[in-house]
Amino acid sequence: MPVPGVPILEGLYPSTLDMYPFEAKEFNRVHQFYENLRENRFTTTKCTKCGTVSFPPRVACPKCNSDSLEWVDLPTKGKVLRFTEEVAGVPLGFDSPLIHARIELEDGRKLICRIANCKEGELKVGAAVQLFAYEVPPMIVEKRGGVMEESPRMFFAFEPVK
Amino acid sequence: MADRNVCIVGAGMDRWGVREASIVDMAQEAAKDCFDDVPALKKEDIDGLLFASSYCGRSAFQVNAAPVVAERIGIQPTSICTRVDTLCAGGSSGIIMATGLIKAGLADVVMVAGGEKLYTPQRWETYYSEMASIDHDWDGAQGMGLPPPFFSMTAQDHMKRYGTTKEQLSAVSVKNRRNGANNPKAQFQKAVTIEEVINARAVVPPLGLFDCTPITDGCAAVILVSEDKAKELTDRPLVYVRGTAQASLHSMSMNWPGEDLSDWVHLRTAAKKAFERARVSPEDVDVAQTHDCFTISEIIEMEDLGFCKKGEGGAFVESGQSDFGGKVPVNTDGGLLSCGHPFGATGIRQAMEIFFQLQGRAINQAKDAKIGLTHNLSGLNVEHTILIYGREP
Repeated sequence: MPVPGVPILEGLYPSTLDMYPFEAKEFNRVHQFYENLRENRFTTTKCTKCGTVSFPPRVACPKCNSDSLEWVDLPTKGKVLRFTEEVAGVPLGFDSPLIHARIELEDGRKLICRIANCKEGELKVGAAVQLFAYEVPPMIVEKRGGVMEESPRMFFAFEPVK
Repeated sequence: MADRNVCIVGAGMDRWGVREASIVDMAQEAAKDCFDDVPALKKEDIDGLLFASSYCGRSAFQVNAAPVVAERIGIQPTSICTRVDTLCAGGSSGIIMATGLIKAGLADVVMVAGGEKLYTPQRWETYYSEMASIDHDWDGAQGMGLPPPFFSMTAQDHMKRYGTTKEQLSAVSVKNRRNGANNPKAQFQKAVTIEEVINARAVVPPLGLFDCTPITDGCAAVILVSEDKAKELTDRPLVYVRGTAQASLHSMSMNWPGEDLSDWVHLRTAAKKAFERARVSPEDVDVAQTHDCFTISEIIEMEDLGFCKKGEGGAFVESGQSDFGGKVPVNTDGGLLSCGHPFGATGIRQAMEIFFQLQGRAINQAKDAKIGLTHNLSGLNVEHTILIYGREP
């Protein structure tokens, strides 16, 4: 598609404007996280020296600095502590209502995430939610010889348990 | 060499709002306003420029903006010339860094300028760019770049835990919009009534249109110098940087340090350090500019800065304790709610207002102001930055 005023960008993929991470192995040392999402696993890194479990996953332990880390599973279920429904002014790439919640996983870990597959007015504080892993548009990676290859990607949200 | 005391000697900004100007145009307007404020300063005296802008790389396709700004405004820095990015606290970060450089003798006369051109030719891009402002890989992809949903949850937590009311949130907006009504540089120069605030269109409940700072183009600039140099340049009362702190304890969506989202541990951490370094306590502060990106923010800031007890911020604001005649007038130039919020410029705009307050020449003057405080939160509440200024070093 031609881009008016920017003829040199015609047909090109500006990856620096991509809202999803560069998940491919060539660009990301925690690519395993995204691969595990494909099996509906919510994983992160655990330090084999001091036992610290960090989320998001790391390449070195933020506590003891060891780079001996292993992948462990986090709970895929939790409950809603607080939530918000954005109906107007939803950013490009997301559908209205855009719902976010602060949730508590079954191990007590708290995080803020998007709640998918949920209608406006449907969610309640205390509601049970579960991991929702989904495919997002692929990243186009230039391979040897200038060959463009689609690198598939996954991302996650949580969804109400129905 | 012993540490030197550091003073602000001049300040200026352009008219903020939806501007028909580029970031480099506005930097020149702000610098001109700043130079006009300190006529004895010669441009060749300036040996440092710190330019605070988060979005120039994204919205103007311009990284390394500091040399561009230096050339346009006609200065030739020889000690430091660099860009600073702490999103909403960029200007304050620049002032902290300039203070350190001057204290240590690595620079003598530093301009700290900053600002953003956020409005792009098409509106979608302005909003889309906001998703660059947080943890891109983990939060941006969840659509969490725009702040209102996060602060909606913060407000809900505070209301649930402490009984804070929509009327108390609205009182912040009424005060700050009134303070901004006579500020010729503010984006909004019109007071609003409590009824207008309460009945305004919802953005993300409980936050309505007047609970939220707008998107703003604008720049601001201040000049920092050693105490000796300040005495050469101005006959006005000297305004010293007394104490600073900047605390970052977690990522936006993960590892939040508080009990709930209304418990701002990182603000208390920064406040403790800044007050210690400034050798004053919250009771000593005569005037403050705190980061009212949302009405709920100012209420929690009153608590975690130590101006009132935790949970009493709503009543503190509603009873006029953060207004003229109260315990500490807050956001006397209209704050973010009136002036708008071109991220890198905001801390500089706050410093300018405190500078004017402490020299007795603010538009809305607090009585006998001798100690002033500025505060920013940045990003989706990942960092808190505090500077304390005084008439004495």
